[in-house]
Amino acid sequence: MFGFVSANPERLSPEAAERYQAGYCGLCHALGSRHGDAARLTVNYDMTFLALYLAAVYDEPGERGTERCVVHPFKAHEYLGGRIADYAADMNVLLAYHDAMDGWNDDRDALGLARAKLLEKEYRRVEAAYPRQSRAVGDRMAELAAIEKRGEPNPDLPARRFGELMGEIFVMDDEGDDERSGAVAAGLRDFGRALGAFVYIMDACVDLERDLRSESYNPMVATPSDQFDDILDVLMAGCVRAHERLVALVPAMRDRDLIENILYSGVWTRYEAHKRKKEKAAR
Amino acid sequence: MTKDPYQVLGVSPSASDDDIAKAYRKLAKTYHPDVNHGSPEAAAKMSEINAAYERIKSGAAAQGSGPYQGQAGYGAQGSYGQAGYGQGGASSSDPFGFGFDPFEFFSGGFAGGRQGASPLGQARSFINAGLFAKADDLLKSMDDRGAEWHCLRAVAQSGMGNAIDALRHAKTAVQMEPDNPEYRGVLNQLQNGGQAYRQRSQGYGMPTVNLGNICLGVILTNLFCTFCRPF
Repeated sequence: MFGFVSANPERLSPEAAERYQAGYCGLCHALGSRHGDAARLTVNYDMTFLALYLAAVYDEPGERGTERCVVHPFKAHEYLGGRIADYAADMNVLLAYHDAMDGWNDDRDALGLARAKLLEKEYRRVEAAYPRQSRAVGDRMAELAAIEKRGEPNPDLPARRFGELMGEIFVMDDEGDDERSGAVAAGLRDFGRALGAFVYIMDACVDLERDLRSESYNPMVATPSDQFDDILDVLMAGCVRAHERLVALVPAMRDRDLIENILYSGVWTRYEAHKRKKEKAAR
Repeated sequence: MTKDPYQVLGVSPSASDDDIAKAYRKLAKTYHPDVNHGSPEAAAKMSEINAAYERIKSGAAAQGSGPYQGQAGYGAQGSYGQAGYGQGGASSSDPFGFGFDPFEFFSGGFAGGRQGASPLGQARSFINAGLFAKADDLLKSMDDRGAEWHCLRAVAQSGMGNAIDALRHAKTAVQMEPDNPEYRGVLNQLQNGGQAYRQRSQGYGMPTVNLGNICLGVILTNLFCTFCRPF
């Protein structure tokens, strides 16, 4: 379910690619400093996008720093820190823990259990610090497990649950009591819901053959695969509409070029790679 | 004519949920069009299997054996219904999140269809009255699933906030009867924004790279620095 919301590097200017890189390194840095080196292993593009998007909506550039990390010991590089990178890192731990536990519960994936164990202490801290988000993730994951277990044929039901999970993650701040911050929180929730539903369905489309072979639950099994592109387009159309409503609240949104590269092109990276692989196999 | 859905799946009516799901997935593995290189016989068989499975699942749901089953599970007019995807803040003229208002749409487009006596006509009447979940239940109980059936199902599902299922049925209706203007109209409404999105998306060009999943370099080694950054 993770790793779908990435940029398309071929269509980024070198300068935009650098900004994206700084966000990615910022997330990794925040994971390391807040949750330890083990947590760094869970860094992913989806939460990089979360940080990027929140920074744009809240118009917070973040704090620039330079570091040499384990991965790049010889070359100092820029990273973006600050409260948004910290939040994205915390959410990363929350999701990575649930994802690992999910692997263990579904398939008795021992590596999943080991990953979960490694993150458990940090997860407990995050859980206590963000009751709204952690409850939403826990409840929706439990509902998703029940939906999968009973073999629900309607794909909208699980997609909506996963969307709600993502929607709550995108609402970093629901404390503000003025009208604008309420509208921003509601806008972020809508946006996250739409993106989450899209990610859930795209994941199912990509996994279809594998799930057919292993006789596992897949919400798209009753949908002819020649309809997948159109369905995903409609879901992304809903997502960009939610994005446009946020743009109306935040004129001159920072990193809009980068964000729209991801929303219009980057989100298709893994799907297109999968399609190419399938075509190659067919030949 | 009416096929027993349990017979189609080859399970007894007393089979457990688990066994029914297993039987369905076993059949899907054999008959899914993707593993049969588009064989029309396999596709027809798969449609039959899907319909049987759905009927059994909705029958079980009607007994209300779980919190998300039955109408509540489909979010019919409930808290999850009508939300659509990414539409929460939309204007009040778009309560279903599809860029159009089914009430308005169907009072225009659908009133002309035959209503009343036949089951399909009855489903139409439910839809025109805004009773989407009722229309959906009625449709699910039917065996004869032609283009009109799929079209009505699409409208009922969209009224319940189920964008994905709605689109699937609308596309199937148009595939079965490409020249029917009513079905095309429904499909166009449901594809709301999808084509515009695709156009803009194609303006970027589809990505042709394979990204590594994550910064694996942290785990493996610190030697191959250039491979582990996103790009």
